[in-house]
Amino acid sequence: MRPLCASALSALALFAALSAQEAAYDWKLPKGFPKPFVPADNPMSAAKVELGRYLFYDTRLSVNGKQSCASCHRQELAFTDGRAVGVGATGELHSRSAMSLVNVAYSATLTWSNPELKSLEEQALVPMFGEHPVELGLRQGGKFLSSLRAETRYASLFARAFPDERDPYTIGNIAKAIASFERSIISGRSPYDRYHYDRDDSAVPEAAKRGEVLFFSQHISCFRCHGGFNFSDAGFHNTGLYSVAGAPAFSAPNVGIYEHTHEPLDIGRFKTPTLRNIALTAPYMHDGTVATLEDVIDHYAAGGRAHGTTNKDHLIGGFALSAKDRNDLVEYLESLTDDQVIHDLRFSNPWQ
Amino acid sequence: MLRRGLIVAAVCAGLVCAQTSAAPAVLVVKGDVANQLTLTAADLTAMPRSKAMIPDPDGTEVEYEGVALADILKRAGAPSGNQLRGDALASYVLASAHDGYRVVFTLAEVDASFANEKILIADQRDGKSLFEYQGPFRLVCPGDKAGARSVRMLETLEIVRLKK
Repeated sequence: MRPLCASALSALALFAALSAQEAAYDWKLPKGFPKPFVPADNPMSAAKVELGRYLFYDTRLSVNGKQSCASCHRQELAFTDGRAVGVGATGELHSRSAMSLVNVAYSATLTWSNPELKSLEEQALVPMFGEHPVELGLRQGGKFLSSLRAETRYASLFARAFPDERDPYTIGNIAKAIASFERSIISGRSPYDRYHYDRDDSAVPEAAKRGEVLFFSQHISCFRCHGGFNFSDAGFHNTGLYSVAGAPAFSAPNVGIYEHTHEPLDIGRFKTPTLRNIALTAPYMHDGTVATLEDVIDHYAAGGRAHGTTNKDHLIGGFALSAKDRNDLVEYLESLTDDQVIHDLRFSNPWQ
Repeated sequence: MLRRGLIVAAVCAGLVCAQTSAAPAVLVVKGDVANQLTLTAADLTAMPRSKAMIPDPDGTEVEYEGVALADILKRAGAPSGNQLRGDALASYVLASAHDGYRVVFTLAEVDASFANEKILIADQRDGKSLFEYQGPFRLVCPGDKAGARSVRMLETLEIVRLKK
C-alpha cells in the first residue's frame, strides 16, 4: 500500500503543480474566445512562452544560421511570408505556402493537408528536421543544441521554463516552448471584433456590414466553411482549383489529404484556413496561385477554375455578384485585420 | 481591373443575381389565414415580449428578445389550442429569409398545447438591434439542438394547409 500511496500522492502533487502553472498563465483572451486546448504534458506558462519566443526568432535553429521559424512566419504578415510557396534555409522551394500561426491554438489539425497532425509540439519538429522539403535543415544530434547552450540569455530562459529539469536543453523542450509561444498568438481585436463583440457600430464601414450580409447569405454562403469565431470549420475541402482527371490536375505532393488517407475522394481536399487577418496573408490557396482577395472571390463566384472531373465540394457552385458586392465582401474581409497582433511586442523579435 | 470586371459581368449575366441588400424592415404573414399581416418593428414592440438564450455559432450565449411565434400566428388567425385537430394538424408555417433560405414548422410544434418549444421572432440581441446580417427579424428556436431553423433575416411566414 505504501508505495502505491506515495506514487498516488506524488501524482496528485504533480497534477496540482501543473494545474497551478496552467491557472497562472493569463491568456488575455478577447471576448467570444474560448480557452484553447493545451496538452496535459505541456501546460502553458509565461516563462515557456517567452523561451519559445526567443527560439522562434533564433536563426541558430537552422542548418546554416540563415533562417528561423520567423523567416516563413513574419509577424507583420500575420505570421505568413508573403510568398506563393515557402523557401527553406538551403533555398529549396516548398510545395505549399506558409500558413498563418495566428490563432493556431484553435486548430484541430495542423498544416494544409495532414488530418493526423494535431499537436503543435509534434509539428514544430517538422520544419526543424524534415527533409521533404528541407525547411530549417537541422539534424538530430547536430551542433545546434550546443550553440544554444553557449548563448548566455538562454541559461535563465531555459531554467525558468523548465525549473524541475537538471538539463532542460532538449529537443523535446524546444518543441514544447515553441508550441507554447505559438499558442499564445491570439488575434481577436480587429474592427470586426469591436463591432461584433463590443457592439461598436462605428468600428467597421457600412460596406463591411453589407459584405457581412453577403458572407452569410444563402447564395454565397462563405460562412459554411469559414464559420465560427475563428472563421474556419476545421475541415478539408476541394475548392475546384484543379481537376482530378484531366489537366491541370492535382499532382504530388499537392494532392490534399489523399496523401494521408489514400481515399480517391480526398484528392484536392485542403484545410480551411482562418479568415482572420486574411488581407495580410496573400497570395492565397495552398499553393499561393491566387493573388488577391478580389481574385479569391472571383474564383468562388466562377465555381472554381478546374475543368473536367473536379471532385470539388458541393458548396463550390458559383454565384452572381456585382462589382460593388465584391468590394463589400473585400471590405468585410479587411475588417478582420487585427493591427494589435501584428504590432504586439509579446510576439515580436526579442533579439532586436 | 478590366479582366476582373469582365469576370463579374459574365458571372452576373449567366446567373440570377444574388439577393445582396439588407432585409426589409417588415415581416409579412400570409397564406391560408384570415388575417394577412405586415408587421413593423413598432408592431412587435407593442406585443407581449419574451426572451430566450441561444448560442452564436462561436458558442457565445446570446440573449434574444422578441415576440412568440405562436402569438403572431394566432393574430393572423392560424388554428391554435383546441382548434389544432383534424386537418389543422396537417398545416405548417413556411418561414422564408431575405436571401431565400427556408424552413418549415408544423403548427402543432409551435403551439403550447403540443410542444414546449417557445419559438421567438426576435428583434433584439443582448438589448440592441440585430446585426444587419441577422435582422431586423430572426427566428430563435431555443429547443432545437441545431441552429439551422433559427432563420436570420426573416422576411415572410406563410401558413399552408395541406390540401391532399
